[in-house]
Amino acid sequence: MQLIKDKKVAATLAAATCALLGTQPAQANEQKDDAWQFDTAILYYGESDRVQLVEGVFNAKKDFGDEHIFSAKLVVDTLTGASASGAVAQPGVQTFTRPSGNGSYQVNAGETPLDDTFRDTRVQLSGQWTQPIFENTRVSTGFNFSNEYDYLSIGANASLARDFNRKNTTLSFGVSYQFDSIDPVGYAPIGLAQMQLASEFDSEEAFRTAFDATRDTEDKDKDTFDVLLGLTQVINKRMLMQFNYGYSVVDGYLNDPYKLVSVVNDTGLTLRNLHENRPDERTKHNVFWQTKYALDSGVIDVSYRYSTDDWDIDSHTIDSRFRWNISETSYIQPHFRYYTQSAAKFYEPFLEESTPLPMFASADYRLGEMDAYTIGLKYGQTLSNGHKWAVRAEYYSQRPTSDGTAAIGVLNDLDLYPSIDAFILQFNYHF
Amino acid sequence: MIDLHTQLSSSFLMTKLTAELDYQLETKEDFIIGRFNAMASPCELLIDSKDLSLGQNLMSVAVNETRRIEAKFSRYKNDNLMHAINNSRGNPVFIDQETYQLLQFADTCYQLSEGMFDITSGVLRKIWKFDGSDNIPTATQVRQILPFIDWQKVVFTPTQIILPKGFELDLGGIGKEYAVSRVSNLMLSMAPNNSVLVNFGGDIQVSQVRKDKKAWQVGIENPTNAKGLAVVQIREGGLATSGDANRYLLKDNKRYSHILNPKTGYSIENAPRSVTVAGIDCIQSGILATLALLQGQQSETFLEAQGVTFWCYR
Repeated sequence: MQLIKDKKVAATLAAATCALLGTQPAQANEQKDDAWQFDTAILYYGESDRVQLVEGVFNAKKDFGDEHIFSAKLVVDTLTGASASGAVAQPGVQTFTRPSGNGSYQVNAGETPLDDTFRDTRVQLSGQWTQPIFENTRVSTGFNFSNEYDYLSIGANASLARDFNRKNTTLSFGVSYQFDSIDPVGYAPIGLAQMQLASEFDSEEAFRTAFDATRDTEDKDKDTFDVLLGLTQVINKRMLMQFNYGYSVVDGYLNDPYKLVSVVNDTGLTLRNLHENRPDERTKHNVFWQTKYALDSGVIDVSYRYSTDDWDIDSHTIDSRFRWNISETSYIQPHFRYYTQSAAKFYEPFLEESTPLPMFASADYRLGEMDAYTIGLKYGQTLSNGHKWAVRAEYYSQRPTSDGTAAIGVLNDLDLYPSIDAFILQFNYHF
Repeated sequence: MIDLHTQLSSSFLMTKLTAELDYQLETKEDFIIGRFNAMASPCELLIDSKDLSLGQNLMSVAVNETRRIEAKFSRYKNDNLMHAINNSRGNPVFIDQETYQLLQFADTCYQLSEGMFDITSGVLRKIWKFDGSDNIPTATQVRQILPFIDWQKVVFTPTQIILPKGFELDLGGIGKEYAVSRVSNLMLSMAPNNSVLVNFGGDIQVSQVRKDKKAWQVGIENPTNAKGLAVVQIREGGLATSGDANRYLLKDNKRYSHILNPKTGYSIENAPRSVTVAGIDCIQSGILATLALLQGQQSETFLEAQGVTFWCYR
């Protein structure tokens, strides 16, 4: 057995180690500076016979060190298809004027009237900066911008979060302000004005005059102000709980300019369609509770949200996810969500000719009583290069229900509360 | 339209317990322990801080870096650089700077050990199975495999390597120690004010001395074949163990250690069962421990000459 003769092996090795690792800290710093993280996703949402949406999301995040974090997000989506206009189905063919006043479209007997011009591309951009300001306190500010054909939205938010109790408790307070400008096709209809039909006029000019009289050419906008109080508590090393209270006031133009309400006679036949009208203010409160529990092989995530507002829409949402790690690098995640809401106080599936016209009325299915549930499954995998991908498939079902309004005459045989079934498919890639 | 809840949640509230549970964090009296599994070992970081978000930042970088090294150099994957090199059948394979530096380092070890530390010697595992049995390979088997062991036949430049056909590279003797030292250096650059102890299955490095100058206490698998953990105290530098008290063959009352001589293809005679070295950093300690084992009977003499703290278990 030969003995290594060099007595200075340790010193030579130390020098070799420095050579091996010496250039690395530079690479390490570089890695830290370069640690942009990207999330990309493409989502398809399709309602049977209704709206279809394709959305691309690009999210970039960079940690500048010492908890200085910047993130930016770009979302582009394209909507096509049609959604229910609010007018009731009828036993005969119905004619509707397009929102622009240029031309009309017909809806077959027995079919739910849809606004078939529903088509838009939306671009959203947002940025957020978070950093510590005092010990255990972080501040975060952000902006967002969203634009589509008839809608422009800009907003800003700021929040403070402070850790207590050896970082096991975090209290947060946030505010946000949002300004939305709405520029409806053919100007905003005057609330409860009758939808004019070209066929009822002798000349195109006479129709135009009547149509223009139903339009409000003033700029439409709204302001939204949100306040949020949050408490996050680490219960034990496996469990985390969060409580939020949110307060929101919206003021301004809150109508949907493309929604209608039908006025029917005592046999249920439509006499005319009116443009909907909603109050110009809405105040919302909501409370939110969430618990995450880490298991050896996954995470259980359950949340509940209660929301109430002065339009009388009360809603309950239960959302639950169970992430199950099937291997070190992959997981599956079943998802179940249940949502239920009561109708707005001015929600009317239709108006009766015999009753006086209310000050506010909307037949928008989104303001009616409904239950909705989502079931889904997600599969995710981490690749050997550290990149992650996931695919998610979900089924969404929205079941509007009667708020007690009795159907009249022919409406008894028609579907006043059409349900929506949608399929969602999303693919994510994180690198 | 923004959803303030989402904004707030994603900003910082939910980061405490993300869905991506790649690792676990536990708060102790005056430090944080992060644990994960990699390189077939339990891995842990002891972080001299009570700041959980710092702990999360350090852990995510440490886990990523470890998995990166493992993915790139592991012999057990069939989609990585190591696999490409080992299946190149004598053709050149492009390598990057990091691989070149590791090969340079392996070359230094080869030179220092006068050929005893040879990263082409992994092929001996094909005939030596250290399962406690008496299955000593035959002289023919040994003779047949020896032509495939010779580091000097490996040609490499900063950009490529040519490995002779039938040869295999095995960075197993460097990889884990390299990962420990790399992670420790990353921790030092990310947390210049906090000491971090990196421990991957007993191969250890401390990024810097703790603020209160206290030694870290860490349990390592007992280097003797006794059950339980041995607690070591370490203030700075590295610590590594080579050898495994439980891996040997026994035939005709002769014990064959799992330390193999790349020149003869047989076990090193009279090698300690394990050697633990406390040195400047984890890699240096690890190589010194391995070189000591390769000295057989002379292990202690060799280590004493190096002026390092060590424990030989025979």
